[in-house]
Amino acid sequence: MGSFAGAFAASHGPLLVREWESVPAEQKQRLTRAFQELGKRVSAARADVLVAVSPDHWANFSLDNYPAVCIGVGETNEGPPEPWMKGYPHRQIPAHPGLAFHLLNQSLGEGFEPSMSHRLKLDHGTCIPLWRMELPKMPAIVPMLVNSIEPPMPSLARCLEWGKLLRKAIESFPGSLRVGILATGGLSHSIGEKTMGAIHEDFDRETIRLFGSSEQDLIRYLGRELPSRGNGSEEVRNWLVAHGAAGGRGFELVDYLPVPAVIVGCGFASWR
Amino acid sequence: MRDYWLSKMFFDLQQPALAAEFRADRDSVLDRYSLSPEVRSAIAESNVPFLAERTNAYLLRYYFFATGMKDAEFIRKLRGG
Repeated sequence: MGSFAGAFAASHGPLLVREWESVPAEQKQRLTRAFQELGKRVSAARADVLVAVSPDHWANFSLDNYPAVCIGVGETNEGPPEPWMKGYPHRQIPAHPGLAFHLLNQSLGEGFEPSMSHRLKLDHGTCIPLWRMELPKMPAIVPMLVNSIEPPMPSLARCLEWGKLLRKAIESFPGSLRVGILATGGLSHSIGEKTMGAIHEDFDRETIRLFGSSEQDLIRYLGRELPSRGNGSEEVRNWLVAHGAAGGRGFELVDYLPVPAVIVGCGFASWR
Repeated sequence: MRDYWLSKMFFDLQQPALAAEFRADRDSVLDRYSLSPEVRSAIAESNVPFLAERTNAYLLRYYFFATGMKDAEFIRKLRGG
């Protein structure tokens, strides 16, 4: 049977690539160490497959059709389409359609209705963490794109439930397979809004603290605060999926630092 | 509020070939989308607050980044400056 290899989260942001040279040296060092430490933990988990939970930053979906949740079931994934991600070394990223279809079927059977795609582009949201974690071997990636970009978005509670469903589905996979979750995005940031550039360190630290508290407190806090904490903060939904999959036991914070040069409150976590 | 055609054009302009065409002959690209005269004017004038009310914030930022506007200027315009 399939087994759960662990859940991890890392922030992403275009300026981690585009403006890397303008990040102060000490913060650059901490970010590098945090990504590498997370990479070590992912490697130690020996995951054959990572379910990469990330938003789609308009790489695949448009207003013609923007799914709440989409699972990538294709034979392969495409590398990031952003021109400034051309340095990313993989144009094709291995996939695992067997697990992806299992997740899809299990979710439909449980009353969840994700969309599916046989060919997804994995944008910077997924690929910056994969790149910067410096994994010695790229696991297969099953993308799970959760809308945190274009309102209305899946509810916070639903994202937690998605995580629990993923765990159940992973453990019912008929085959020997170790599967981890990599959530990307958050913590606070604001893109293309009047508040662009704002980082809410108080929100980030309280969110991190509440991941060690009850689900109800966490959801209540996020539900109250998210509307005023920048649109990028909505990506905490992906962390909720990881939290649900890990059984809600809280995470070990690898690092957190607000980085004005990349306009993101950068968080790195591995769940207990 | 979402202006579908404006958002669609911003989405499409992520394609480098179309972005190059847009830089070389903006009107020929604008003609392919059912944009209102007000929206066309706002694009011509880089009226960021007007466009911000009509599309997704990420798409707005991508568009102005692709047209070469620096973030500092984008933010200043966004705030009505």
